[in-house]
Amino acid sequence: MRDSYHERLAEVGDGLIEMSRLVGSAVSKATTALLDADLVAAESVIAADEQVNALYRQLDDVAVQLLARQQPVATDLRAIVTGLRMSSDLERVGDYAVHIAKVAKRKYPASVVPVELRAIILEMGQAATRIAVKAGTVIATRDLTLAAQLLSDDDTIDDLHADLFTRLLSENFDHGVEAAVDLALLGRYYERLADHAVSVSHAVTYLVTGEHSDPESYAADA
Amino acid sequence: MAKRITAEGVGACYGSLQAIEGVTLTIEPKSVTALIGPSGCGKSTFLRTLNRMHEVIPGATVTGKVLLDNEDLYGEGVDAVAVRRTIGMVFQRPNPFPTMSIFDNVAAGLRLNGVKNKQLLEEAVERSLRGANLWNEVKDRLGKPGAGMSGGQQQRLCIARAIAVEPQVLLMDEPCSALDPISTLAIEDLMTDLKDRYTIVIVTHNMQQAARVSDSTGFFTIDGPGQPGRLVEIDATEKIFSNPTEKRTEDYITGRFG
Repeated sequence: MRDSYHERLAEVGDGLIEMSRLVGSAVSKATTALLDADLVAAESVIAADEQVNALYRQLDDVAVQLLARQQPVATDLRAIVTGLRMSSDLERVGDYAVHIAKVAKRKYPASVVPVELRAIILEMGQAATRIAVKAGTVIATRDLTLAAQLLSDDDTIDDLHADLFTRLLSENFDHGVEAAVDLALLGRYYERLADHAVSVSHAVTYLVTGEHSDPESYAADA
Repeated sequence: MAKRITAEGVGACYGSLQAIEGVTLTIEPKSVTALIGPSGCGKSTFLRTLNRMHEVIPGATVTGKVLLDNEDLYGEGVDAVAVRRTIGMVFQRPNPFPTMSIFDNVAAGLRLNGVKNKQLLEEAVERSLRGANLWNEVKDRLGKPGAGMSGGQQQRLCIARAIAVEPQVLLMDEPCSALDPISTLAIEDLMTDLKDRYTIVIVTHNMQQAARVSDSTGFFTIDGPGQPGRLVEIDATEKIFSNPTEKRTEDYITGRFG
């Protein structure tokens, strides 16, 4: 029954998984570009984002066609509505990876990150990569336990973000205002992209259960 | 005017064939309840047990209880004809009396009930045609035969005929399946108007129609050939079409079964 419809519906899921794979790798590569002052890596992150944007537009088109022509209901309807939301979140994750890569590119051949802050930025980059990849796994498996885990990963990033700010505002920070602004922005990019990954996990929870996660957790992410 | 219908463990047979079994549900007054399900699931049979139309088929029997408010429609001494007057029915194909004028079609039920006063009849015909949203289209040709109208108009004429006798409940068995999309929307709008005064139960093959017009939706299915049809679940329409409780309902409405 309705084979072509279900194939197109599967395209939405496949597109999201592909998007999450691309943005996960973009976040990881952008972090490398940043820490190693690697221009090639930075430029490849910037160029690869076009692929994410193309998938985002394609997914919009498929979703609109399905809504217009198939009148999906129940889980199918939620898959499309949440699919639209998730693709927009993943597209934003990709954009933040580009922002990070652009900071690295702008400072090249200098490194943006002072030696004493390398560890914390590395940790943020790793946690952000982990959360982006995990969001992809949550989409693919619809595993709600994993979706819940994402929230605690996000707490880690929030803590690191707060920690970074404390370091930037301390009297010992002596790299100047410009470096402080760059680092504050980088911290903000990681923190924001993790929130978008969390939003993906909320969307999957809604897709599976038909009920929204705790509204307070939404408010906290906003 | 509108009354509540309660079905308790309703079963229906055609001879030895059990068509439906154990149907228990409540149909709220002044609302539209849609019954959906695959062909042969017994939804039309169930509808016809609600106004004792099932038993007109030779060998057909009904078990269980159907209550209209608190009155058992299958109770001892209950007149089946009186039940059908109280619970009107509209069928899949518009079936106006072909040789009768539009006026006489609408007045037929009242005349059968012994109303002879011309003024009363005229008032009732106008009220019913207005109620069926047909008055403006036919008021200048009430003496013409109903058979000369479009399918959608004929169906609204049948609805006017059904509401002329002021029933408590209106049963509709796929009332739009022989109609074009515009006439279908006209009937759907009419259902929304009519539910202010009547309890409406509609059997439909068109799930989008159920989603558009009904307040509650019941899903019927059968486990296999020769098995009796059963009610899987009945719930608020928004719940059925966004997040039904039963997987079988979900599979049916998303086209994975049936």
